[in-house]
Amino acid sequence: MTDPATDTAFDGRGLGTERLVELYRQMVRIREFEERVKRTFAEHPGVIRGHTHLADGAEASIVGSVAALRPGDQLTATYRCHGYPIALGSDTAAMMAEIYGRATGTCGGYGGSMHLCDPERGFLGTSGIVGQGIPHATGAAWAAQIRGDRDVVLGFFGDGASKQGAFHESLNIAALWKLPVVYVLENNSFSAGVRTEQEDANAAAGEPLATKARAYSMPGVTVDGGDPLAVYDALSAAVARARAGEGPTLVESRVYRLSAHGNSIAPPGVPLHYPEHEAISRFGAVEEYEAAKRGDPVPRFRAALVAGGVLSDALARSILADAAEEMQHAVDTALAAPFPEPAAALEHVYAEAPA
Amino acid sequence: MSTHETTYIGAVMEAIDLEMARDERVLLLGQSVGGRPDDPFVQRYGENRVRVTPISETAEIGMAVGAALAGMRPVVDATMAEFLLVAMDQVVNEGNRFHHMSGGRVRVPMVLKAGYGFTAGWAGQHTGSIYGMFMGVPGLKVALPSTPADAKGLMASAIRDDNPVLFLHHYLLTLDRGEVPDGEHLVPFGQAVIRRPGADVTLVATGWTVPMALAAAATLAADGIEAEVIDPRTIAPLDTATVLASVRRTGRLVLVDQATRHASVSAVLAAEVAEAGFDALRAPIVQVTGLDAGIAYSRPMEEHVLPDEAKVVAAVRRVVEYSGTRV
Amino acid sequence: MDAEQTRAVLATMWRIRAFEERVGQLKRADEVHGLIHLSIGQEGVAAAVCGQLRTDDAVYSGHRAHGHALAKGAPMTRALAELMGRRDGLCRGMGGSMHLVDVEHGFLGATGVVGGNIPLALGTALALHAAGRDAVAVVFFGDGAVQAGLFAESVNLAALWRLPVLLVCENNGFAEFSPRSAHTPVERVRDVVAPYGLVGGTVDGNDVDAVWAAVAGLLPAVRAGEGPALLECLTHRLRGHYEGDPDRYREAVSSAEWRERDPIARLQRAATGDGRLDPDELPGFERTARDQVERAVLAARESPFPDAALAASLAYRR
Repeated sequence: MTDPATDTAFDGRGLGTERLVELYRQMVRIREFEERVKRTFAEHPGVIRGHTHLADGAEASIVGSVAALRPGDQLTATYRCHGYPIALGSDTAAMMAEIYGRATGTCGGYGGSMHLCDPERGFLGTSGIVGQGIPHATGAAWAAQIRGDRDVVLGFFGDGASKQGAFHESLNIAALWKLPVVYVLENNSFSAGVRTEQEDANAAAGEPLATKARAYSMPGVTVDGGDPLAVYDALSAAVARARAGEGPTLVESRVYRLSAHGNSIAPPGVPLHYPEHEAISRFGAVEEYEAAKRGDPVPRFRAALVAGGVLSDALARSILADAAEEMQHAVDTALAAPFPEPAAALEHVYAEAPA
Repeated sequence: MSTHETTYIGAVMEAIDLEMARDERVLLLGQSVGGRPDDPFVQRYGENRVRVTPISETAEIGMAVGAALAGMRPVVDATMAEFLLVAMDQVVNEGNRFHHMSGGRVRVPMVLKAGYGFTAGWAGQHTGSIYGMFMGVPGLKVALPSTPADAKGLMASAIRDDNPVLFLHHYLLTLDRGEVPDGEHLVPFGQAVIRRPGADVTLVATGWTVPMALAAAATLAADGIEAEVIDPRTIAPLDTATVLASVRRTGRLVLVDQATRHASVSAVLAAEVAEAGFDALRAPIVQVTGLDAGIAYSRPMEEHVLPDEAKVVAAVRRVVEYSGTRV
Repeated sequence: MDAEQTRAVLATMWRIRAFEERVGQLKRADEVHGLIHLSIGQEGVAAAVCGQLRTDDAVYSGHRAHGHALAKGAPMTRALAELMGRRDGLCRGMGGSMHLVDVEHGFLGATGVVGGNIPLALGTALALHAAGRDAVAVVFFGDGAVQAGLFAESVNLAALWRLPVLLVCENNGFAEFSPRSAHTPVERVRDVVAPYGLVGGTVDGNDVDAVWAAVAGLLPAVRAGEGPALLECLTHRLRGHYEGDPDRYREAVSSAEWRERDPIARLQRAATGDGRLDPDELPGFERTARDQVERAVLAARESPFPDAALAASLAYRR
């Protein structure tokens, strides 16, 4: 029996049916998780406080990137961080509990939506400040270079971060020291409510943001972030280069964020919700947004897998049902989970020496 | 315990050297670090662990955070305290936050080493005593050694600490010589030291103002006034207990601080003592600090804004002679 | 450069050279204190760039600023008085070597933290642009600043907003104490800004005719609002990073090599060679400059130290 995954439809990557289906399953799980975060604002008002940022629209980019890693590799990300730990296998119930501020959360309720981490799975953490996680990834790559185990670090950030000095300084040093890091610039065309071409000289000139890599004598590639296999290919090449000690790569992954930048920001007492996408609310670009919805990477990949004979409709339905059930469980257990003791706020201010 | 004589800065580097030899996770990076094959640190520990960096403070300090998250113990030589300001987010809003916001799942052991107080004609942008702006930042520790022995012991403790530590060494003390314990020497954080005992007034000073306070105490002793001189050594954590206990003995407190007065170490100590030791005070607390201005270039103006021995002596006299009206 | 322009530029270069050599002596005699960065060997850039600016054009410099201030028209006596911490200094003794300011002559200031001046120049360019004026902002910085984050932040915005700013990088091959190769894999600064679409180029900064021609080529478009430009001048810093720098990180330049490179000697050779200048008039430039410096030293010494209380009274504008 031939494996459809090795057919020309999938460019002979040799991923195999099982892994292709697994990529799809992770995309669906991320989408379901984010939908449940969003629904929480309507269904359980007041349960989520502060600011959340969703990865819907970036699932293919996240899953395709993480698929290029091996155990021992590490990553850092931004405040838009729910997708990566799901792809790495973190417990979604603990993640939801964290977002709900519960003691059973991933970080015990200390971090919330913007500061998930799972160091045991290589997810070192996030910065909530635009661009500031880029040097963290670079430093982790320096540590990997010193360890000499040929581990690679992925640094995820958005298009806005590429205008931060931290980006410039980090990419220069990484290129100079040939650090094993891949910079994944998820270009979703908006920095909060500002269009990229309003703030970026390359975008304004109609150039890809990967152009910036030239300033560091570094390879820069732009990839369709809505196609997990294209992302996987780009990341695999960049990771292989990093692993071989040949230095960093800047990968611009073009995605379209399907939700607004984050939930509404309002003073206490005003219910929070997910507002309309900035493309519509600020720029009136209804057709642009509708086109992005039509290009939704999740159904797009499902259609490709079905057309390629890798995925049956029945399996697709069951993947969706499983994900829905998993996230229902995440919501239910998180709602039922206890809050931390108030005085626990003073723990972990400083790390104590291990006993 | 056997000792040897060395300089204040030599003691700092000795501690880094010993810790790098002891623990291969200790790394050293900065704009004036290594960079030459004949650099002794490069020769001993290799270019992987001793790296010269471009003028990229955000990346240097942010990379230290990332390397620490990945299990290393980096020391960043930031050269001058003001250069930390270029990377303020990384200093006060990244490394120091991660342990707490991860609920204790990650640690960021790193040291930011920087000189401060370059009050030798370096003018407005290199002379500040800006430690006060870091002492109220949870998750960050701040050490201000005043002697070569403490410089060594606090640096060793800083490197072994599992938290970000700002280690600030005073430029004007750089070449001061003193006895330093041989080999391993650790000075615990949050433990003030009484540099000179005295029964009449408590003098608290940090860094370069410690020798100034000791000189003032010697001058005052000739007049029969015995000042107790306390050096907190770290300002985060800050050992207020030792200061309070001293004030309970002396009933008087004079605080010496090179920094500007507003929101200073001295202001924090004054508040703590006023709240917890009000009953013990026999006179108002007096602060002898830098004036609330930048540091001017020209020598007479530079000297004018800084505390000096005469100002400390005068303040102590006012406190000791206090008779129920204003000091 | 025609003969008149050449004379003006040469006079400026000699003024800077004589001033800085004297400052080095005064530093050793402790009449000038603090941290002193000299630009001996780099005078050609300051003279050729500022020689084509108007008084209402704004210039920013960094910690190595004496030459730029003098070339932009700052009076030598007041510059020296500032370095000597005197009341008649450009900043009344408040700023010193790293913080010279002479607003009257369009020298808006020198900043002491590497690269910190670049966004300031952008802001001035934005203000000039908003006011509808055709003045430009020029900022001098070393190649060390190029690796600082604010450089990229500034280049992006300058290009995006087409600001009338000329970025002049004096690439002396060293950032502080280590060679450029220890700081970046990118040898030429023009390659760092090229991805942002900045026009400009690289010239031999010790070839003053070349610097002049490059500036003449770039400035009209910047002034016309067509956007920013970068001029990279390859120079050689003859002194250490600062005065007193033990200087172990640099290879000494032989005197023969220096004679070849010295921008003053080179311009004099070129200008007499092609007949712009008469060899007989050359000694006059140096003599005039050195006389002027000596008069400035005497005048600055006459200036009293400032009232010490000024230090605190200027903390805020009252």
